[in-house]
Amino acid sequence: MSSTITKVAARTESLRKVYGEGDASVEALRGVTLEFAAAGFTAIMGPSGSGKSTLLHCLAGLDTPTEGHVFIGDVDITTLSERLLTQLRRDKIGFVFQAYNLIPTLTAGENITLPLDIAGRDVDRAWFDEVVDTTGLRDRLSHKPTELSGGQQQRVAGARALVSRPEIVFADEPTGNLDSRSSDELLTFLRGAVTDHGQTIVMVTHDARAASYADRAVFLGDGQVVDEMQAPTAERILDRLKSLEV
Amino acid sequence: MLRATVKSLLARKLRLVLTALAIVLGVGFTAGTFVLTDTALKSFDDLFGQVYANTDVVVQAHQAFNPTEGGGGGGGGGQELNPIPERLLPSVRAVPGVRFAEGSVQSFAQIVDPATGKTIQSGGAPTIGSSWSPDLSPFTLEPGGAPPVGPHEVVIDAGTAGDHHLTVGQQVRVVTPAASDEYTISGFVRFGSSNSLLGASFAIFDLPTAQRLFQREGTFDFIYVQGDGSSTPEQLAARIAGVLPHGFDAITGTSAASQQQDQVNQGLGFLRTGLLVFGFVALFVGAFIIFNTFNIVVTQRSRELALFRALGAMRRQVMTSVLVEAAVVGLVASVIGVLVGIVLAIGLKALVAAVGLKLPPTALVIAPRTVLVSLVLGTTITVAAAVSPARRASRVAPIEALRESTAPSSSIRRRVIVGTLVTVVGVGSLAVGLFGGVSNAGYLVGLGAALTFVGVAMLSPLIARPIASTLGRPFRGRIAGKLGGENANRNPRRTASTAAALMIGLGLVTFVAVFAASLKSSVTAVLDRTLRSDLMLTASQFSPFSPQLARGLSSSPDFSAVSPLRQGAEAKVGSSTTFPVGIDPATITEVASIEMDAGSITGLSEPNTVAVSRTEADGKHLAVGGTLRMQFARTGSRRLTVVGIFEPNALLNDYAVSLGTYDANVAQQLDSTVFLKYATGVDQATARANLEALVARDYPSVEVNDQAQTKATYVKQVDQFFAIVYVLLILSVLISAFGIVNTLGLSIYERIRELGLLRAVGMSRRQVKRMIRVEAVIIAVLGALLGLVVGILFGWAMQRALSSVGIDRLAIPFAQLVFMLIVAALIGLLAAIWPARRAAKLNVLEAISYE
Repeated sequence: MSSTITKVAARTESLRKVYGEGDASVEALRGVTLEFAAAGFTAIMGPSGSGKSTLLHCLAGLDTPTEGHVFIGDVDITTLSERLLTQLRRDKIGFVFQAYNLIPTLTAGENITLPLDIAGRDVDRAWFDEVVDTTGLRDRLSHKPTELSGGQQQRVAGARALVSRPEIVFADEPTGNLDSRSSDELLTFLRGAVTDHGQTIVMVTHDARAASYADRAVFLGDGQVVDEMQAPTAERILDRLKSLEV
Repeated sequence: MLRATVKSLLARKLRLVLTALAIVLGVGFTAGTFVLTDTALKSFDDLFGQVYANTDVVVQAHQAFNPTEGGGGGGGGGQELNPIPERLLPSVRAVPGVRFAEGSVQSFAQIVDPATGKTIQSGGAPTIGSSWSPDLSPFTLEPGGAPPVGPHEVVIDAGTAGDHHLTVGQQVRVVTPAASDEYTISGFVRFGSSNSLLGASFAIFDLPTAQRLFQREGTFDFIYVQGDGSSTPEQLAARIAGVLPHGFDAITGTSAASQQQDQVNQGLGFLRTGLLVFGFVALFVGAFIIFNTFNIVVTQRSRELALFRALGAMRRQVMTSVLVEAAVVGLVASVIGVLVGIVLAIGLKALVAAVGLKLPPTALVIAPRTVLVSLVLGTTITVAAAVSPARRASRVAPIEALRESTAPSSSIRRRVIVGTLVTVVGVGSLAVGLFGGVSNAGYLVGLGAALTFVGVAMLSPLIARPIASTLGRPFRGRIAGKLGGENANRNPRRTASTAAALMIGLGLVTFVAVFAASLKSSVTAVLDRTLRSDLMLTASQFSPFSPQLARGLSSSPDFSAVSPLRQGAEAKVGSSTTFPVGIDPATITEVASIEMDAGSITGLSEPNTVAVSRTEADGKHLAVGGTLRMQFARTGSRRLTVVGIFEPNALLNDYAVSLGTYDANVAQQLDSTVFLKYATGVDQATARANLEALVARDYPSVEVNDQAQTKATYVKQVDQFFAIVYVLLILSVLISAFGIVNTLGLSIYERIRELGLLRAVGMSRRQVKRMIRVEAVIIAVLGALLGLVVGILFGWAMQRALSSVGIDRLAIPFAQLVFMLIVAALIGLLAAIWPARRAAKLNVLEAISYE
């Protein structure tokens, strides 16, 4: 694995996840050991059923691994109680899901500050303004989600993930429901967060073009890390994927 | 399609249970009422059959009409009968075919509990005195006792004896019309197989003693006859009638039993109607919940329904499938409801017993009618409530299957028009019922109230948003509260119709509270205005007492005025029933200020005269100097001259006559109230103490009250009565709470992804619970506010309608209403417990990946 001296934002140790029991059991992760450097943008790729979503869910504390450990910073989250895990998600982790990212009863602005409101923390106005300006949604802040386009909604979700300055942001197929223009807008936004503000982002995607925005691409196959690639481009990723699926 | 319906039902078991619960409770209460009253009727049937088992013929004075049960207000069995001269007995005995014939007298007799020194009286049950019939006794002597013999022995009913731990041989004080004395208990009796007759207490003396104590020397109230079997009771009755002078009847024991049964039927009829009203209210509330649930479910299933349509299902099939689902739910719920009702009947029996109506023990009667009516009612209401949601379901377009969309909803304009129309018709029908003076007023008022509730419920979504926003404001400070408030606001129709169910229950509670407060306020004000007496003597539960007390006091130097008042006997003017009041025209003006419109109250000192209230005089077009016909049960129709018209007041009902006229026509010549005024210069404290000592010794049932105490006693009685009404209304409130649970549960199901997201971004379980609780509280308080408004309006309308009979003040019990709002908020919190727990327990991962 990478031997750089950069700080590690999150890492896994021999992560195993088994669903079901006995003959019907499925091993989704078969010993995954990975590090995610701080201020890095990692894309996790792999065909359907490769275990990439399961990995993300375990990393984010939404799912509990069968064996192994997950560290966010120095904290082993596999040992945390449900209450502490919730606090960790609230304070240290940001999320962007594929869809249904926003609370329909809240305005875009309220959705962005939601994690801070849940924590009862004050909003850092300067930071909020900066994030909002990068999304280009300033004039949309008082709109309800139903009044926003799909791309705008996802950018609001991105802003929400960043506004609490989490240690790490997890994005699960964030461009899955978007057209290519909206995808580019969102990915540019995420890329900027990493480059300009040193945000750590881990993104699951099956889209090679999306992965090309990352610093590094990790390939999963059959529950194991099969390869990884630094500074990936879309063409190289596609080639790699082809070889994986063969 | 049918298979799909059944599958959909089973797939949502929990929703099914909650929905059904609303109907189960309503049907249960209705069925319970039927079972209770049927059981009571049956047991009385058995009882009277047993009581008259030995009696073939009863001889009694002719009655102009058969007074209703309870008209006597306690005392001697409520019979308004002329006495039968003793000399008729030998001629009856001489009739061929008569084996035994025995005279009997009845009156009131109050037994004093040796343990407490207080008169024994359970609730409003009568205290009956009777003579012992050696051969034809309707009573069965318990082993170990002996019949009463001589002037110092009494037999007591086993029920009273058991309740108050009396033993054979014990000395017990009994107060009768002629005396208050100590007697030795010689035995206990039961009635057929029952220990007690409706909770009444019985004191039984031998005939001569009873005649003396009941002031029936030389007379009987009844002659009981048993035949020797040579002829039928009808033939025997006809033969006996032949030897009786004019004014006396001989009827068979069977028809005497059925006459009494009729009286009981009437009493139980009132009870049944009263209880059924609450059952119907509960079903009405249940209908709202059914409507609401099906509406939400249709919305949630709209994609599924559209898929059916896309696959070729006809609109009618979609509609039928929803209605069939409703019918199945309704039928199952009704079946369970009937079973619940049977259990409830036992509980209701205990409740009724708590107010003094002890029913004889009999197996529960479950009539086919009970089952049929309950099933039809429950199923019909469920299906009827589902019609509108079913129509909505049928309008889902096939294209919706492919779109992310909800079921269509009717336009807001149509809702406003229909809602306003329904409200107007409801209020109109209410107004006609209350003020129109029509015959079936009760039905009109009920229908009007129901329609008003439906109309307001239809219109309430219009105001739900602003009110819910305002209610949510205090919670906005924190995100969970803010989200809860927003959720309550999100679908105003759903919030409003959930709140509407609670509105009905709390609206009726408010109505009752306003009405009771107005009643208390009006009557105490009238008492303040009218009463000039210093003290009032009344007996507990309005049971009348011996006129000896007033007679004795009138010679006392302590009091300048002693004015007795008698009432309780039923009379008829035209076809309407009234309870005339007997007063002493010479002294009444000293103890009460009676405002006269015309004529004077002292004019009553002439025989066969009457004073009439202004409302009655207006209604019947009576004027001073005119005459009216009043029919008494005992003496028949009497022509009375109107000598005065008075303003309605708390003392005199619609008609007042002199004590002389009263006694001439009414059998039960007992005082119900005596007004006293201290003589000038008397030490009032001593005078009162002396009076209280006298009353405690000789008239233990009588209470001595000054004006403040009289008012307090009255207020307490009103409160006691309405407390029972509140208890019965709790059922509807409970059902509407289930409605909140149901709506919240369904909403959570709908917002499962959202909840998952909130949890994923760090909302704690506690915050999720708080969010649900805030939503529930807002819905509940919204319902309470709507109920408050409607209830106050109903109360006001009722007060206006009854202002002519003395409820001339509107009182709104603000503290009580604020308390109700707090209770409503608590109901919201309670209703939120289960949905909140469910929402908090959601698996985050499953929730966010839920499709």
